[in-house]
Amino acid sequence: MQGATQARRYRLQGAGLDLALPYLMLAPGLMIVLGVLVYPLWDGLRASTRVYRYGSPVADAGFQNYLHLWSDAQFLNALWVTVKFVALSVSFEAVLGFALALFCLHEFRGIRLLRTVLIIPMVITPVVVAIVFRLIYASDAGMLTALSNAMGGGEVQILGNPLNAFIGLVVLDVWEWTPLMFLILLAGLQSLPHEPFEAARVDGAGAWRVFADLTFPMMRPVLAVAIVLRAIDAFGTFDQVFVLTRGGPGEATRLISIYGYDTAFKFQQTGYAAALFVTIGLVVLALAFSAIRLLRRIDAS
Amino acid sequence: MHSSRLTRRSVIKGGLGLALATTALTTLGLPMPARAAAKKVIIGAFADGGLTPFKEKIIPLAKEQGFDIEFLEDEYGVTLEKWFADAHSGAGQYDLYLLDDPWVPQFGAANVLEDLGAGGIDASDKDWIGSMIDMGYWPPQKGPRVKGFENAKPTLICVPFVGDLQTLTYRNDVFANGAPKTWDEVIAKGKEGVAAGKIKYPVVFRGVSGNPIVTSWYPIFLSFGGSFFDDKWNPIFNSAEGKASADFFVGAMKQNAPSGVVEFDSDQEGAAILGGEAGAIIQYSGNALKADDPTQTKVAGKLDFGVVPKQQSAIAQMGIFIAGVPKSAPNKANSIEFLKWYVSAETQAKLSEAGSIPVKRSAFGIAKPGNRLIPVALQQLDAGALPRPRTPDWAKVEELLGIELNKALQAGSGGGAALDNAAKQVKDYLTTAGYY
Repeated sequence: MQGATQARRYRLQGAGLDLALPYLMLAPGLMIVLGVLVYPLWDGLRASTRVYRYGSPVADAGFQNYLHLWSDAQFLNALWVTVKFVALSVSFEAVLGFALALFCLHEFRGIRLLRTVLIIPMVITPVVVAIVFRLIYASDAGMLTALSNAMGGGEVQILGNPLNAFIGLVVLDVWEWTPLMFLILLAGLQSLPHEPFEAARVDGAGAWRVFADLTFPMMRPVLAVAIVLRAIDAFGTFDQVFVLTRGGPGEATRLISIYGYDTAFKFQQTGYAAALFVTIGLVVLALAFSAIRLLRRIDAS
Repeated sequence: MHSSRLTRRSVIKGGLGLALATTALTTLGLPMPARAAAKKVIIGAFADGGLTPFKEKIIPLAKEQGFDIEFLEDEYGVTLEKWFADAHSGAGQYDLYLLDDPWVPQFGAANVLEDLGAGGIDASDKDWIGSMIDMGYWPPQKGPRVKGFENAKPTLICVPFVGDLQTLTYRNDVFANGAPKTWDEVIAKGKEGVAAGKIKYPVVFRGVSGNPIVTSWYPIFLSFGGSFFDDKWNPIFNSAEGKASADFFVGAMKQNAPSGVVEFDSDQEGAAILGGEAGAIIQYSGNALKADDPTQTKVAGKLDFGVVPKQQSAIAQMGIFIAGVPKSAPNKANSIEFLKWYVSAETQAKLSEAGSIPVKRSAFGIAKPGNRLIPVALQQLDAGALPRPRTPDWAKVEELLGIELNKALQAGSGGGAALDNAAKQVKDYLTTAGYY
């Protein structure tokens, strides 16, 4: 009896423990992943096939919630606003970020300070950025109105006008997230090999030819990654809109994230909101996959 | 010399021990705040000037009574979802919610609030303002009921806390003969005030989509003689009276308000009247209570209160703070005991003295109410004040209507068409929700 216990102890201390140890080490992480990722995802999928009333499921809906989305004018409007917002913001951020990265590639006095200053907007909390922009845009006491008044103009209408409010939101996003593009693209530019550029200079190529024939083609994979990452992130923009416009005026800045939030938490249509977010998740996933395919094609070429 | 070796076994044992200790500490630690004080009450409220007298004068009194009040404030726009999630999940983060009264049906339908009648709150006390205590019942004692609750017994799940309702605030140097009686008078005399350089705008209101714009339009809608739903929950707010009110609101009122009124919420509205720019506004008590405080207004002494103007009748919207105790409250008994003390005639008199609108009629009649608004609030209650429809889906209805009204306000016309659009959307939504 004592011999058997002794043998078991030896097994746990030796080869048995060696065999079990990787699983034991993995177990906490695996449980966390199951708890915080897999279960909520599963629960969300399950909720998306149910009808909720007053916070509780009352009936199975099958795929009705998903089908209903495509006849919901508010959802379609929010989707369209989001697509416009992502396309415009990310395009401007990519162009500006690239331009800034090219500029900051040169070494000159004060460049380190400039690079640091340029990334400040990115590190400010989005809610704070939105509050600051609200103070800038407010028609009654905002900074733009104050400037306009000082120059003899009238009130500047940003948040009360659908087009201006949308542009104002894009400007906020571009201000805040161009630094991210800048940072990724600057890192990409700094990692490019020097030889082709030196050869081009020896051959007498001008700045534009160097950019068009060397820099841009060599930077395309980095640019693609930066755009995809930023686009995925922009699809989920919430804080800035929540503080700045709450989706208004009318529905002019109502992004899908705001509509989904209201649907889930304010109107308690949990099942419908889950279907909405699953659908948007799939759209973003499709976007990511097409970006990966695009990257592979760029690599191959 | 003793040497310690780090073995795999010791790492695993140490890790397990740490995990168990953390779990035990967390489990034991969570209820600690609730057990620490004998009469702890955690109150959740949305930030609003209407609660300032309660915070400044009544909480200290409650402490004298042995209550340990923890007052947690949030922004209005997030409290409904936050508290509903708390109540529904049974998280038990609050003992008492100070709800906006249209939220009562949503909490009632979800059955997440305590029966306060069973807890000993006397709803039959004749001293209650009748229309206010009625708002605490789910399903409602009067009016139409939503499906599933037709035969349910009305239960007192909330008690009125601050008797807030809309009244008119006006400039007494612009309306020298007292409060304007009609909306036409508001505009006409306001224009004279602008011409005389006393004010910049005859009226100011909230134009932001959703709850703010609906709140501003509602008293005009009521005073034009509009009704929101029929007794079968069919939307009838797009009646001729309703359309006339919406056209007046997005037309004449916008023309006489700041050009940026579409983006105005209560902060800009309050700033306009307290800053001396507006001739008149309809508002709840939050900013009205600041009217005599020279540190908060540039026109102290020039602001008076009155009953809302009328077209057919002078009816205001009620929007009281109403208290509910979640079933998951960690200090349920304390909360109910606190409420019993708070709604007593004596404490209500103290609330009135502190400057807040009480919920018991006797407290309106005290010798020295703390604010000039209080007797006007009673006049408004007697002239007419209505709550919003008692449906758990009011937030969605308000959202749909608010978006359409906001679009019409941007355009400066088309109020009637906006109501038609909104009525169709509301009908579609309520059909999907099983109302018919």
